[in-house]
Amino acid sequence: MPGSRIPERLVSAQEAISVIPDGASVAIGGHTLRRHPMALVRELIRQRKRGLHLLGWNNGIDFDMLIGAGVAAKIETSYVGMGPLGLARNLRRHVESGAVETVDHSETTAIDMFRATALGVDFLPNRTPLGTDLMTYNDGLVEITSPFTGQTYAAVRGVEPDFVLLHAHSADVHGNVQLDEANWGDNTVDPFIGRAGKHVIVSVEEIVSTEHIRANPRRTFLPREYVTRVVHAPFGAHPCCADARYGYDQDELRRYYEASKTQETFEEYLADRVTSVGDHWEYLDKVGVANLLTSATHTSNVKGADTA
Amino acid sequence: MTATLEELLCVQVSAELEDGGLGFIGLGTGGRSFAFAVGIPSVAVALAHRRGIDFIAQYGVALEPDIENAPRCFEDRNLLTWPSSANLAVETCLDGFKRGKMSVGFISGAQIDKYGNLNSVAIGDYRKPKVRLVGGIAQPDHAANAKRTIIILPHARRTFVEKVDYRSAFGFGDGPGHRERLGLIGGGPAKVFTDLAVLDFHPESKLMRVVSLHPGVTRQQLVEETGFALIWPDEVPTTPEPTEAERQAIAEIDPDGAFLNGRIF
Repeated sequence: MPGSRIPERLVSAQEAISVIPDGASVAIGGHTLRRHPMALVRELIRQRKRGLHLLGWNNGIDFDMLIGAGVAAKIETSYVGMGPLGLARNLRRHVESGAVETVDHSETTAIDMFRATALGVDFLPNRTPLGTDLMTYNDGLVEITSPFTGQTYAAVRGVEPDFVLLHAHSADVHGNVQLDEANWGDNTVDPFIGRAGKHVIVSVEEIVSTEHIRANPRRTFLPREYVTRVVHAPFGAHPCCADARYGYDQDELRRYYEASKTQETFEEYLADRVTSVGDHWEYLDKVGVANLLTSATHTSNVKGADTA
Repeated sequence: MTATLEELLCVQVSAELEDGGLGFIGLGTGGRSFAFAVGIPSVAVALAHRRGIDFIAQYGVALEPDIENAPRCFEDRNLLTWPSSANLAVETCLDGFKRGKMSVGFISGAQIDKYGNLNSVAIGDYRKPKVRLVGGIAQPDHAANAKRTIIILPHARRTFVEKVDYRSAFGFGDGPGHRERLGLIGGGPAKVFTDLAVLDFHPESKLMRVVSLHPGVTRQQLVEETGFALIWPDEVPTTPEPTEAERQAIAEIDPDGAFLNGRIF
């Protein structure tokens, strides 16, 4: 076993998020409605952060909620949508009014901005955005020429976000973060995002012993040298799904989407689900054990079955 | 026409799929746009498989999953147990685009112009848009890198515009030679399938032209629903209606309208 002077990094969500200053750049892991660190996102709203520059590779309810709550000033990603529900309504409202600035990417350029930094270089070459308006409006995409072949590429600027927020399956108190063996391929960008950040906060479904980590070392996707803080947040991606751990809470997603129709109804939703609730544990009480366990154990997965 | 429009489009798109092909189908956003971006290509691939065509569908990160037994909810745990030959990391899958492995990209958008450029980012001024859309997603990657793209979208004058407000996916850019000047490895848009017609692009001018009109659609109607001048053939064929056997196959592939009515959550 490593020595006894290993620092402990397990803190509450309040403490982990409290160090984030207004105006910071904050990258958020997950994909569309998959494994976003929603407990940490809700804590950003509770602590009334302002002016954040959000980064991601493909985002959904995470960005939409932060935009609607007035937390985000600028967003940088390839997608903000509500997946099967449709367009992200807070995004629409606040980008169309000019309140939130957008920096657009393709999926590959968004991934490359994290991957560059994780690889220890300040850009990666990518042909995809050539000739598109992605290059017109994003100063992180600049034309360059290969010294070997003369091929034109877009240089995708690497980013080093001030903070990275991720959700994962398990960790020990020292910040060795693991995913179960079964994890969906769209969730594999998180390690790159984690390795690109200056200060990395990871919420996890469960805290496990260091012995448990060490007995399953191949499951560690972010070892402790990359991780600043670990937060215990069971169902921390709710109402998103989280690999094999649990599915969507479709009722909650629909309630959110309906509420996001107007700023007024959205603020009522935030008051009910986020700001009137002390912390993630109270949030879980509010959602209710039956609802949580339903999303964890019920699915309509069969051809010809009722999908409602 | 007794067949539905979706059935007709499934058969038309399926006819484009060849042995040895590899096509990427994304996961789509909501209702009717899901049917166009995901549902129709999915059923088209399943129809091609029933004809014995060896076409690999890359479904998000799932390689050649069992389309005829797709989960009715695309949450992670259902996708994890969907029988497939591979579940790749998404960056590995997208690297394959750049490596030139993708022969067909199925894409869609809120606007398309006469050179087949697409917009899924913003309508109006980018800085203060009239409508903010979802963003580029992987469509710029398909458009730049796939050997050919197949575009499926509803036909309307506000969709078929002279020039897209924001070029998020590169078609033929400003016209002939533009893709070559940029060194894009993909071949660009091959065909456009809409609820009114099948269209392609003139080999020299790269301008959109009419291939066929769907049953019951008039030339006048297509002109009215298109915001730029199309190239017309001397004789305009009618898009063939699906056969009874094809309709039966589609009913078996998609009995509950999960794909064609966009009912997958």
